[in-house]
Amino acid sequence: MSIPRRQFIAQASAGLAGTLLAGLVSSVPGCTPAHSAVRGQLRGAGHALGHRLRDLRTIPTPSRTEEVDILIIGGGISGLAARRELQRLAPGRPTLLLELEADTGGNSASGHNARTAYPWGAHYLPIPDVRDTAVLAFLQEAGVLTGYGPAPARLPIYDETALCHDPAERLLLHGHWQAGLVPEVGVPPADRAELARFLAAMERLRHATGPDGRDLFALPLAWSSSDLATRQLDAETMADWLTRHGYHSEYLRWYLDYSYRDDFGVPAAQISAWAGLHYFAARKGRAHNAPPDAVLTWPQGNHFLANALRQQGGPGQVRANTLVFGLKAATDGRVEVLAFDNATQQSTRLLARQVVLATPWHVTKHLLPNPPLLAPLHAPWLVANLTVAAYPGGAGQPLCWDNVRYGSPALGYIDAEHQALRGFETDGPQSLTFYWALPTDAADPVAARRHALASTYDQWLTLVLTELDLMHPGLAAQVQAAELWVWGHGMVAPTPGYVWGPARQQAAQPQLGGRVHLAHTDLSGVSIFEEAFHQGIRAARAVLAEPRAS
Amino acid sequence: MGEESVLMRRRRARAAQQLAPAGAPRPAILLGSVAVIATCGLLYELIAGTLASYLLGDSVTQFSTVIGVYLFSMGVGSWLSRYLGGPLLRWFIRLEILVGLVGGASAPLLFGLFAHVGSFRVLLYGLVGLLGALVGLEIPLLLRILQGRLAFKELVARVFTFDYVGSLLAAVIFPLVLVPRLGLVRTALLFGALNVVVAGVSLLGFDETRPYRRRYLALIILALLALGVGVVGAERIQRYAEGEVFQDTVIYAQSTPYQRLVLTGNHRGELRLFLNGNLQFSSADEYRYHEALVHPAMQDRPRAHRILVLGGGDGLAVRELLKYPQVQHIRLVDLDPAMTRLFRSNQLLRELNHNSLLSSKVEVHNTDAYAWIRQDTARYDVVLVDFPDPGNYSIGKLYTTAFYQTLRQRLRPGGLVVVQATSPYVARRAYWCVVHTLAASGFSAVPYHAYVPSFGEWGYVLAQAAPGTWRPDGGPLPAGLRFATPQVINEMRRFPPDMSEVPTDINQLNNQALVRYFEEEWGPYGQ
Repeated sequence: MSIPRRQFIAQASAGLAGTLLAGLVSSVPGCTPAHSAVRGQLRGAGHALGHRLRDLRTIPTPSRTEEVDILIIGGGISGLAARRELQRLAPGRPTLLLELEADTGGNSASGHNARTAYPWGAHYLPIPDVRDTAVLAFLQEAGVLTGYGPAPARLPIYDETALCHDPAERLLLHGHWQAGLVPEVGVPPADRAELARFLAAMERLRHATGPDGRDLFALPLAWSSSDLATRQLDAETMADWLTRHGYHSEYLRWYLDYSYRDDFGVPAAQISAWAGLHYFAARKGRAHNAPPDAVLTWPQGNHFLANALRQQGGPGQVRANTLVFGLKAATDGRVEVLAFDNATQQSTRLLARQVVLATPWHVTKHLLPNPPLLAPLHAPWLVANLTVAAYPGGAGQPLCWDNVRYGSPALGYIDAEHQALRGFETDGPQSLTFYWALPTDAADPVAARRHALASTYDQWLTLVLTELDLMHPGLAAQVQAAELWVWGHGMVAPTPGYVWGPARQQAAQPQLGGRVHLAHTDLSGVSIFEEAFHQGIRAARAVLAEPRAS
Repeated sequence: MGEESVLMRRRRARAAQQLAPAGAPRPAILLGSVAVIATCGLLYELIAGTLASYLLGDSVTQFSTVIGVYLFSMGVGSWLSRYLGGPLLRWFIRLEILVGLVGGASAPLLFGLFAHVGSFRVLLYGLVGLLGALVGLEIPLLLRILQGRLAFKELVARVFTFDYVGSLLAAVIFPLVLVPRLGLVRTALLFGALNVVVAGVSLLGFDETRPYRRRYLALIILALLALGVGVVGAERIQRYAEGEVFQDTVIYAQSTPYQRLVLTGNHRGELRLFLNGNLQFSSADEYRYHEALVHPAMQDRPRAHRILVLGGGDGLAVRELLKYPQVQHIRLVDLDPAMTRLFRSNQLLRELNHNSLLSSKVEVHNTDAYAWIRQDTARYDVVLVDFPDPGNYSIGKLYTTAFYQTLRQRLRPGGLVVVQATSPYVARRAYWCVVHTLAASGFSAVPYHAYVPSFGEWGYVLAQAAPGTWRPDGGPLPAGLRFATPQVINEMRRFPPDMSEVPTDINQLNNQALVRYFEEEWGPYGQ
């Protein structure tokens, strides 16, 4: 059974950059829905402004100089978490945060239509490990964690409205919507047994500790055991690990590929076994009022968390629409940062005592004079927010938060209004957020990205509507609006050797004489909230550990 | 229908007044017409009588008054026929078109306007009177047209033979074929069309109509088209009507953005409201449901004067609340404006809720209850929660700890909430899940139940914000209650073993335990 599986992976990943759209659409003959009436536009993470980094001649020279104490470059979760930590530990030291986009949040961006807010990227947080007191304190301050249950467990109590409402997930399998995403209905006994065996193995790994007493797999991943045998799993691919352990079930392989594409943008064949196991074994959340697999989510996705972080970050200024295009050591020991304000079309020279550089690596490597060698793989992503005139029903389980089609190259859609606090179902339009991690080839990631960024609104829309029609025949004709966002760089993929290889450790070292501290999940290899949050904390504490320059 | 024999006798009596000289150009056509118009005439009468008994109840009274008004109006029509002069055939053609339109439109008009007019009886008797007068003109006019063509004794014999044969036909096919197969609306439209066809046959059958034939033919085609459009529209009104979904006649149906409202009536004068096919109340025993919903709480809090009602857009719980003079202000929050509009404007429904939604003490808000309590800043002595049963995940959100905790903040110190909580007999775990969820939300929850024949055993929960005791002797009950007495209320707290407490999960937004219980337990009942 592994052979067709592999063929699929090969098809999905090999050389698809050139024929991506044509290939995916033409795989469904005679099924190209008409969509001339659909409203919407194609956006992207400020790549037009960002790409000016490649040709600095188009940017005006600085017309003024400004002095700052602590400068934070990048307003994603890492940068915002660093800012919040600095406010907590050193409220007297002013910070300035520069953000390329119109709003902070990074991958946790959101938009809204007439009915609801919706996410443009990261959109949920599994309930965190109770030992991660820093994240719990943040959530408590944000009002998401409302208290603790009785002793001795004293488990966190979460705001019920933020816990993902029931029903959470459904999977379209064999023409029927089943509850939950692990394939079950109509799955042959041998495959079910293999799924059960895998999940039981993961459950054992969740509780496993290394000789150093630490969990084998933990979040943030820096807390994981340094057990050598476990870390060696970082060298092989998850797909090889599965084969080595006798996991061949097509259903299991699909489920795992779906899961990894959802978090990392790439399937089991492209990530390390350590990361593939970490995905399942590192989640140890517990709550007084929710099961361990509960997730927190909001209509605007993790933009809720980004805004809470920003709010808790104190009065320090945040400048949006600002491109940082140069960074070097100044003669007086400070750091000279050149920033271009896209609104005023003016450049400023900033002299900072300390800098937190919380940008993704494809930006960081352009900014640092001598960037360390690091090559994170980012799959391009498509996120589509659809306004659909009819209810997306189907046989079986009714509309859930997360709705996935078995065997689909896409990741399915979430119901953006799932968390709405109201007591009626309406015939009115539905807001669905589609996710699609686009296939990318580690050997040539640029090709996939370039093709993704060159594709037109109509091409993307055809792709999304074709997938929608496969999930709900006829529904594509009911789409009224489709707002699309293409992320050229989605989330980092923990490719073999990335997490525990030497490059990542070296790249995380302070730069420019210890005055520039890097913080980003590209330096973790796993792009999830807790990781970004701790990246920010680590950088903030490193800033405060440095002696203050004059 | 026992009324029909009365009808036949009256009809025969009426016919005796209409003897007139004989004579006609093409007697066969006109005599055939007599049978048709007689059938139509009696049918309109039967339709109006049946409709009135559905909509207004008390069938003996309704049939009797409708027949009386109809026959009297026929007499008026017969008398007025003497003022018609000139070409009589032309008058007859005009008359048939008019009878067809008015008679055909009668049932759709009465159904369609039932919910929208202040005084339905004025409309009903106005229409019956007009129709009676028009039908009353028919036979005298025909007799005058045929006069001179036939000998007087032949004329009278033949006209009345056809008249009575037509009446018999109508009386037989109405209950046996037309009502069960077509329903009232389509029957009326169909026979309206037959009247128009009579006009057409008369128009084409006689040479003397040539000068105006074109113009009248156009009129006739237009009239048939209008009735045809009515038949198509009737499909929408009556889609559920014909005994397939509802056992009674649908007298009002509307699809709103939120639900489908269907009101049915039967010959016992019993009104039933269905929301999305689920029975909301029957006028026969809703007093039991609403007295049990309201009075235990009000008796327990005799000084309560600010009340919030969530759901309950029929105004029936408000009717019970208004029986307490100390109640100063009632805020009703119901999602569907169509629902509160219907119960504020329709005469029959206003009679049922005693005009409660028009009271100056009552303030109606059409918004989602969850959204309302999240933004509301007022506090209340008593909150009545009368939502639909938790049959889907959206309504299930209104039964969660998250909802009840928010609701608790809307209570004054010492305030209480009453929640309707489905049947503890049919859905035992669902019922106790609501009790346990209220308890988990910080309330002191007192379960109780009452028997409502239309629903069976029905469960409620009285939930107090602060721990307290139930006081069935707290305050006086208003006069005139038909069900609740202090003894009955006291008995409501006792649960026999087949409905007694069972362990359940707590209903939360992230588990929707209640919806699952409800589906499992009500599922076998086809709800």
